[in-house]
Amino acid sequence: MPDSGSSRRRALKAMLTVAVLAVIAPFTNLVRFFYREDTGSAPRQRIANTSELKPGSSLFFSYPRTGDPKIDGDPFRQWILIMTRDGKLRAYSRVCVHLWCLPIYVPERGELICPCHGSIYKEEDGVAIAGPAAFQPYPTNALPMMSIEVDEKGDIYATGVVDGRVGLGREWKLRSPDTNLKRV
Amino acid sequence: MSAPRYKTFREAVDALIKWTVERLERTPFAAFKFTFPKQYISPYGYLGTLTTIVFLVLGLSGAILMFYYTPSVDLAYASVKEIEESVPFGFVMRQVHYHASNFMVLLAVFHLYYQYFSGRYKIKNEVLWVTGIILGILTVLEAYTGYNLILNQRAMLAINIGMGLTFAAPVLGPSVAPILMGGGYFDLIVRFYALHVFIIPLLMLLLLTVHIPRALIIDLPMIVGVIGAIFVVGGMFPAEIGIRFDPSKGLVEVPEWYLTSIYAFLRTGSERFWAGALLPLLFAIFFLIVPFVDKSKKLSWRDRPFFTAMGIASILMIVVTTVWGFYVDFSQRNVFDQLYIEPIIYYSSFGLMTWACFFVTYRYLIKPRGKPTPAKPVVLSPASGAVAVAVTLAMVIAFGYLALMTYAQDLPNVSMFNMGMALILFGLMLHFYRHTSLTAAKPR
Ligand code: FES
Repeated sequence: MPDSGSSRRRALKAMLTVAVLAVIAPFTNLVRFFYREDTGSAPRQRIANTSELKPGSSLFFSYPRTGDPKIDGDPFRQWILIMTRDGKLRAYSRVCVHLWCLPIYVPERGELICPCHGSIYKEEDGVAIAGPAAFQPYPTNALPMMSIEVDEKGDIYATGVVDGRVGLGREWKLRSPDTNLKRV
Repeated sequence: MSAPRYKTFREAVDALIKWTVERLERTPFAAFKFTFPKQYISPYGYLGTLTTIVFLVLGLSGAILMFYYTPSVDLAYASVKEIEESVPFGFVMRQVHYHASNFMVLLAVFHLYYQYFSGRYKIKNEVLWVTGIILGILTVLEAYTGYNLILNQRAMLAINIGMGLTFAAPVLGPSVAPILMGGGYFDLIVRFYALHVFIIPLLMLLLLTVHIPRALIIDLPMIVGVIGAIFVVGGMFPAEIGIRFDPSKGLVEVPEWYLTSIYAFLRTGSERFWAGALLPLLFAIFFLIVPFVDKSKKLSWRDRPFFTAMGIASILMIVVTTVWGFYVDFSQRNVFDQLYIEPIIYYSSFGLMTWACFFVTYRYLIKPRGKPTPAKPVVLSPASGAVAVAVTLAMVIAFGYLALMTYAQDLPNVSMFNMGMALILFGLMLHFYRHTSLTAAKPR
């Protein structure tokens, strides 16, 4: 039969292809090597006591705190607890939603200001009102918030529940910033 | 067979060289044609070689710095400080590494534009050209990952912006950025380190094997002179270590000069990926496709006014955006006003610059001129040549001595300057030397 030679070759090639695929397939897991996988613990963590804050003041905390300064200094773990000038408690991610620099709180203006390209966020709800972050479309123009709880002794806890995504933004039109503050 | 006997030492050396060269003919080295010019030739033609030499200087100094540098979030800054302040000769090594990176970026840009204006991307050089552009981009990435390893305030801003930009890239961004970041900055610093000392340089070396033309000009006096210039500049303008990164401080810091142009784009408040990556990328794309667009047979810039005008416009844009990126209006009180660049003014200035360049090119530059008379080469008589060699030699010795003295007196920057002067003068001496041996050889 004239055809048997070429069909035999085709069968050989198919076997070769299958073999190559079978060898390569396990290596697809290599992709995961490049990502450090999240252990995903969201502990309840004490931040401060209300007596340590006065209206128009702020303090930094890292969440989740590990005790290892190498890890705790990471920008993506940086949060800021603010007592606004009219006495409301707010906890924002410090990662600017523009390009990830770390804004600081300026009490005289009641604003968070980013040192990189000058984005300005309101202390009240973390929404950008000026600078490049303000030009970004909703919902990428507001700082994510951490839900916090205050107990009867005045201790403030970070719950680990984040409203929004760090570095990306928050759907601030859906929920009022006050929903992220509970008294227990 | 008895062992060959040589009458003089010179004969033995010649035989050894011959033996080696014959065996090297079996290696890829034989493919290269090295030329060691016997007299001064314009460096424009071999700017690429100079860039490569500076790349090697970077490789050497960088490898030495690795002995002390620690890629760790909490130790990196301190280790750089240690190299700079307490490791003997560490100051010089770090400054050489830093300033050589500036030289490399600059030389690469000059190389690009010389080749561009002389139309060298044609005549079957397309592959050399395209690999050259990619090498240029890799050079900037290499420099970027390098200065971030210090983990000072400036580095952290650059890292944040770079990562934010990567993340904001459409489609791929969200899956690529975590590869660079890992679980956070404690991973990122190690990954940047791997990129900086191994992955990117390796890529560059591989590309270099495709990019290097087979005929190479090795001009020793100029090479020594360029290395000397790195030392001189390093001694005069030592790079600072900056302030240690502290997440609780908000500081305005401008990035390194080869990135301020991108910084200027970001400060206009335009969409970040568009402003920070796509517009600069347009630049690169223009250069990537130019050999496939400019199909004419003409090489001289005078005969290609459109591309000449585009080239001049691109230089002007690079200069203007770079300077603009540096400009921070500290008279304003809040950070936003200090940094904000009005986009309408900014982007319309591009139109204006392009128009001006086309106007000037078509109106004035391409006018045919008479044949330029070739400059008459300066020829020194053998006697004055010998004097020149002796004088430069004396100066080399003087500066070498000064360098040792000032180092002993704990003035590493002055010492570095003197080392550079000694190197430059040594290059000059080499030049006089070859010149004189040439004039002395042929009697007039
Ligand atoms: S990173 Fe905050 S304004 Fe650009």
